[in-house]
Amino acid sequence: MPKEILIVDDDPDFVETMEIIMQGNGYETRTARNGEEAFKKVKEKTPDIILLDIMMKTKTDGIWVSEKIRSDDKLKKIPIIMITAVNQDSEMAKFHLGQEKDMEYMPVNAFMEKPIEAKDLLKEIKKLIGGPK
Amino acid sequence: MEPKICNINDPECHLDRIRGWHGDLEANITTLIKNLKDIREHSEEAKTACSTHYAKTVELTKAKTRFTYEVSHELKAPLASVYNIINVILDGYLDKDFEKQKELLNKAKVRINDVIKLLNDLLFFSRLEEGTKKIEMEEINTGELLSSLIEEMDEFAEENDIRINWNFSDNLPLIYGNPELLRRVFVNIIHNAIKYSNPKNTVKIKTKKGKDCFLLEVKDQGIGIKKNELPMIFNIFFRGENARPEHKKEGMGLGLSLVKRIIAAHGGSIKVESKLNKGTTVTLSFPAIKKKEK
Repeated sequence: MPKEILIVDDDPDFVETMEIIMQGNGYETRTARNGEEAFKKVKEKTPDIILLDIMMKTKTDGIWVSEKIRSDDKLKKIPIIMITAVNQDSEMAKFHLGQEKDMEYMPVNAFMEKPIEAKDLLKEIKKLIGGPK
Repeated sequence: MEPKICNINDPECHLDRIRGWHGDLEANITTLIKNLKDIREHSEEAKTACSTHYAKTVELTKAKTRFTYEVSHELKAPLASVYNIINVILDGYLDKDFEKQKELLNKAKVRINDVIKLLNDLLFFSRLEEGTKKIEMEEINTGELLSSLIEEMDEFAEENDIRINWNFSDNLPLIYGNPELLRRVFVNIIHNAIKYSNPKNTVKIKTKKGKDCFLLEVKDQGIGIKKNELPMIFNIFFRGENARPEHKKEGMGLGLSLVKRIIAAHGGSIKVESKLNKGTTVTLSFPAIKKKEK
């Protein structure tokens, strides 16, 4: 079974194009448009990796999701790539999360800034979970 | 003052002179003390004014940083999506699906248009804010101005499966205003009412003559605004929970903040009442031109 990527972003065009890229590279995808929906979908079925937009203009954003996942024993090992639109987003997130140095407590495995270069993202995903199969 | 000349043998005269000096000295010292007190008071005032200004500057700088951050976000997110769309097509993911390519390119076009519109609005907003944009005012017949919008608004309503009920009262007062800006305000408020209505709803637009003012009421039966979100609707980029992209409502959130500034520049006011899932009523009020005394 191909590995599954959960794509979380409040921008529908971004989600749609990410799905095309990921499916085109052999991954399965599911999507969510806000934090709550993302967490619900993670609990329903554990994805192999999550692409998570940090600043969603919804009640629950990427930081909320990453904290929820990292504080859940069953889910905390899921690799997360945090996607940011403005590089300060990640600065804000680090600030918000208290700049923990220990990888065990790092809320996410990688930060990537928009616009995303597909080959860089695919490389990062491969590094974290291996290929699509 | 003329110096007093005393005879050398007249001690009384000399004493008078000395008393005179003493009086002058006393008066001078009193003035000096008063001056010192004034200076102290002024410096206290200056200190308070200074720290108030400092606090204000810090606040403004913070607000500016926040604003720049939000603007960057608003601009970069759509550009990142357009970038993705171009890459998906360039990298050949959709080589066998021309229809999908076309669909995505159309989406890219919409996003780029949004960015351009946002940039124009931002420029306009900052000029209004700065006060450098001189607003040319003229006498406006509000009934005529609104009538000129009927066709365009009815069309937009029809596209969204909404009906507009127009109700203009007679003898509306004239107001001073800039026709282009007022048009923008009216269009924005009516568009919002249509956009946030549910299909088959009716939007009621009513004009009234208030006390020394012209009133425009736009009432919808749409999704409404949450009570805790009402105070924030005029903030730049704010969009309500139920007005977000996942609900397919277009818009950047700059509209109402601009509207409020334009209305303020006209000496008018805007009132928004709303019940979640019941609808929103927006009432605009503009001061009427006072009739000249005969």
